[in-house]
Amino acid sequence: MDETVIEASNLVKIYKEGQIRAVDMLNLRIGKGEIYALIGANGSGKSTTINMLTGSLFPTSGAIKVLGFEIPQKRRIVTSQIGVAPQEYALYSDLTVEQNIWFFAKLYEMKQKEFEKRLNEFLPILKLDERRKTAVSNLSGGMKRRVSIACALIHKPKIVFFDEATVGIDPVLRAFFWDYFRSLTKAGLTIVITSHVMDEAERADRIGLMRAGKLIEQGTPAEIKRRHGASSIEEVFIKLSSGETVDE
Amino acid sequence: MSKQKRFSFQRVGAVSWRVLKQISRDRRTLGMMIAMPAVIMLIFGFALGGQVKHLPILVDNQDSGFSVGVASSPSFHFGDSIVSSLDQDDRVKVTLGSFDEGIRGVENGTYYAAISIPSNFSQSLFLSQTSQSLQHLGNISLPLGVKQILSVNSTSLNATVPIYLDGTKPANEASILGALQSALQGAFGSGGVTLDKQFAFGNVEYSGLDVSIPSVIAFVLTFLVLLISLIIVSRESTSGVLSRLYATPLSAIERLLGYSLALLLLGIIMVSVILGIGIGAFGVVVRGSIFLLFFGAVLYALAHVFLAVFLSNFAKNELQAVQMAPLIALPSMALSGMLIPVSTFPDWVQTIAKFIPMYYGNRVFEGIMLKGYGISNLAPEFAVIGGIALLFFVLAVSTVKDRITA
Repeated sequence: MDETVIEASNLVKIYKEGQIRAVDMLNLRIGKGEIYALIGANGSGKSTTINMLTGSLFPTSGAIKVLGFEIPQKRRIVTSQIGVAPQEYALYSDLTVEQNIWFFAKLYEMKQKEFEKRLNEFLPILKLDERRKTAVSNLSGGMKRRVSIACALIHKPKIVFFDEATVGIDPVLRAFFWDYFRSLTKAGLTIVITSHVMDEAERADRIGLMRAGKLIEQGTPAEIKRRHGASSIEEVFIKLSSGETVDE
Repeated sequence: MSKQKRFSFQRVGAVSWRVLKQISRDRRTLGMMIAMPAVIMLIFGFALGGQVKHLPILVDNQDSGFSVGVASSPSFHFGDSIVSSLDQDDRVKVTLGSFDEGIRGVENGTYYAAISIPSNFSQSLFLSQTSQSLQHLGNISLPLGVKQILSVNSTSLNATVPIYLDGTKPANEASILGALQSALQGAFGSGGVTLDKQFAFGNVEYSGLDVSIPSVIAFVLTFLVLLISLIIVSRESTSGVLSRLYATPLSAIERLLGYSLALLLLGIIMVSVILGIGIGAFGVVVRGSIFLLFFGAVLYALAHVFLAVFLSNFAKNELQAVQMAPLIALPSMALSGMLIPVSTFPDWVQTIAKFIPMYYGNRVFEGIMLKGYGISNLAPEFAVIGGIALLFFVLAVSTVKDRITA
């Protein structure tokens, strides 16, 4: 692994006065320029893990380091170098595409000229150029997802977290996103992506399989399939879950 | 398959059931549905159930009394009788002093009226009241002086009582004049007294609109600034954007100040609309500085913006947030003196009223608009409003979230 940009040790998050153990002794390391996919069923703790890594949620116990800085203690330093596209679109529906992206750019204190340059690069790539003056409320789900990604990337972060970024979009757009993500990593960007769609895991450099708050398997897709004698990550996941459906 | 009806009571019922079910799951809304009407009724009951009373007035009793001059005849001190009657009247709270002191007191808000009972009050009253009756009694032996006095037209013997009134609160004025009339009636029956009314603050008796507008400004700023601020701030937390914002460099204080600046601008626009329509369309009086009025309104609005940000931390959704606005605004309206003077409330309610921001807002707006007060007269009120703004700012900063709490 190249330089480690994200490290989590014995990470635990307990909710509701001890009733829910959302993340349970999670350990992971993510290298620079990787696409790391955190895969698991709904409620397995993926979003909770992402929220802790970004400093939005404080862990119950455990240690986190992002870009060499301890989280959450030094999160103010780190947040200027990361981008997040949450599970919900998390956009201002009354504002236009351009206004939403501008707002987030200003949170990172981007200069106007730099913002305009980046925007003019981004919008055509994300196929939003013709909709820049359209209110977000009038966009389709797929377009909103693209705007959300743009808001997370506008300030040239070193790490970006996509929480279920490809959920609810058509296969063509999904393929487009993955190609786009791959092109970003070639420029040195590290991507952490969560998904409950198992076949997405095949596209990542390394994956972590989560179940009931635990990381039950980790490695490259090929390594994991080989270790478990499976032909797909889905098969591995089912095997590791013993085929049980758990209300997590 | 049966035909779908155009109108279905079953579907209507399903919608109603869903709404009620949702509310029943929202304990805070349920609580407010019971608590809010109860609190408001209790407050309005206390505030409006009593009469306007305990209005502070000053009486300058210079009456030297009057004696007919005949041996063993009684002497009359109607001035003392009036003071005594006023003292026992709940509507007013009497302080004795000089008329000049009273005038100053009315102008600085210590008293609502100053009354001067002249030195010849008893003489004038006695003679005007009895002259007609004595003439009917035929040949009564009266001292020569008395006959001479009685030969004058009795109406010219009417006693004139100067009264200097605040003029900005018609309800108070009515109560004070009512108490005075009762005292006069009790002392010597009707007639014989002319009240020479003068008004502080331009010697004008203000119209109902003039005296209402300051309180309307205070109420509108309280209610609308709170309501709009609560909606805007709580919408962000319920729309999911907040979770994204937590992962950016935006700090809680930056977010708070950003909201406050924008909401304050909205408050300024609201103030401009109210004053513009009031002054432009209805010719409402602004005797004092319009800049000071604006500054006061902005400071007052700012306090409520911070209050809204503070309160929004406790609302899980917009419905809960919106309910907080009337919960604050309606009791404020009842207790602030907007409807009836605070001095009419029981003592313990008066103490509570002095913790209501709108109490000071009313005083600032009334003072500037109706009395032409400047910053020196209203420094305490401005200081309190500024202090309240600071308190709510500190509360907002200490409770505004900068991360997911669960």
